[in-house]
Amino acid sequence: MITLQDIEKVYQSDNGTIHALRGVNLSVKQGEIFGIIGTSGAGKSTLVRCINMLESPTKGIVTVDGQELTSLNEQELREQRKKIGMIFQHFNLLSSRTVYQNIAFPLELAKRSKEEIDKEVLHLLELVGLSDKKDQYPAQLSGGQKQRVGIARALANHPKVLLCDEATSALDPQTTKSILELLKDINRKFQLTIVLITHEMQVIKEICNQVAVIEGGKIIEQGKVIDIFTQPQSNTTKEFISSIINHNLPDFFKEITLASEPSADSNLILRLSFIGHSTEEPVISSMIRRFAIDASILYGNIDHIQTIPFGTLIVELSGEQASLQQALSYLKTRELGIEVIGYVARNARAIG
Amino acid sequence: MSQEMLVLLAKSLWETTYMVAVSSFISALLGIPLGIILVTTNKGHILENAPLNRILGAIVNATRSTPFIILMVAIIPVTRLLVGTSIGTNAAIVPLSIAAIPFVARIVESALKEVDYGVIEAAQAMGASPREIITKVLIPESLPAIVLGLTLTIISLIGYSAMAGAIGGGGLGDLAIRYGYQRFRADIMLITVVILIAQVQIVQSTGDYISNRLNKK
Repeated sequence: MITLQDIEKVYQSDNGTIHALRGVNLSVKQGEIFGIIGTSGAGKSTLVRCINMLESPTKGIVTVDGQELTSLNEQELREQRKKIGMIFQHFNLLSSRTVYQNIAFPLELAKRSKEEIDKEVLHLLELVGLSDKKDQYPAQLSGGQKQRVGIARALANHPKVLLCDEATSALDPQTTKSILELLKDINRKFQLTIVLITHEMQVIKEICNQVAVIEGGKIIEQGKVIDIFTQPQSNTTKEFISSIINHNLPDFFKEITLASEPSADSNLILRLSFIGHSTEEPVISSMIRRFAIDASILYGNIDHIQTIPFGTLIVELSGEQASLQQALSYLKTRELGIEVIGYVARNARAIG
Repeated sequence: MSQEMLVLLAKSLWETTYMVAVSSFISALLGIPLGIILVTTNKGHILENAPLNRILGAIVNATRSTPFIILMVAIIPVTRLLVGTSIGTNAAIVPLSIAAIPFVARIVESALKEVDYGVIEAAQAMGASPREIITKVLIPESLPAIVLGLTLTIISLIGYSAMAGAIGGGGLGDLAIRYGYQRFRADIMLITVVILIAQVQIVQSTGDYISNRLNKK
């Protein structure tokens, strides 16, 4: 649905040239919710504006719905933009227009008749749950309501693509959730392709299928959300993820000495990670039943990325060295991520 | 006060009102588009055009920095060309308008600059043309500020129109000078001043009222 090929964007400013995008390649499929995450200044705002050519790239090709936008003139481009909806962090509603008139605005631009506009606007108001606010002005609405108007306005011309520029960054967590729910709903109902940029991993985790991490004007990592979450490669990605999922060892491990090799009298500490249906398998209890070992759980966390559960467990296994090794090999046959954290001398820890 | 004086007063009041009304209308008619051009041709705006912007800006500044009394005399040839004479109420309208056009342009410029660029960007994202952005976004969004600016222009023109007496333009200012000052008629002086104050008050209150009604922020 959307492809970006070797997009570069260079700004000339008084303080020299700024290289905002350095060769970005992206491809977004029909019906996907594609998240682009990055810190401020990473180039994500510029990137999303390249998709509807609010910023024209210095180099590269932008294609949306089979139409190469980078080769169009102003007039043709305006026609294409009517098929791409966009919502903004600060909503950007017209303060002199009522809710109804704001939603009608893109329809007026598309030269639709009064009757068509009326029918469409009333329908959209219902979709975003603001039918009772139609004659109010934006100043009388809350942030969440303003964004709903923004969404209704963006959908008015039945776009194929919806671009979201930090759409929830100015909203509180509760409102963010309801706006994300609405976006997810729209995505399902109309098979609408959504590209959203954000600096909040939570947003990616809630609704995206695919994610790209942008840093210094380059995409440094991209893939399915579940893969990026469970196996982040770059430090930036790890940092983003650690804001909502803890991949680090709990602090108390710092105070104990871990050996990398077993000794006669040591316990084994493992980190197990589960994805999808393997979370439902009683791995720990069947391991204890099979082998003469004990297991104590030091840390545990189970989370969902949309509908896929995934979890991390740090366990300490104690028993005869031979049984421990057998248990370890057993675990390796299961569908788990296993990481040997180390061996500790029995009774080395105060807890457990 | 004699019947004659009252007639004279009514005539002067009409002349002032006429001069101010016509020159306000002309300056709005030409000043508003000029202000729009000044904003939209700015760097990074929808019709970016640096040379045009710089030239218009220079002309506006030059006109604005010329004192009105000098401008009035300096453009007498232009006035004669436009209305056929350089004396009288109609002749006074020419310098009044020429002085007010750049004033309106600057006021409109600053009003339009207050419109959040994000809103313009949103309109662009919806496929609005520059013309649609001007008529459907910039003007409606800044209308309350434009109305206040025009109010200010009308009040300034009431003040300037008093000087139009110097080229025989008539009006209340002329009356105050010729009768109130030169013939020592303190009563005439007082009454014209009161009328001028009342005019300004009425214009200001009306402007405030309209602007408030338009403001939905």
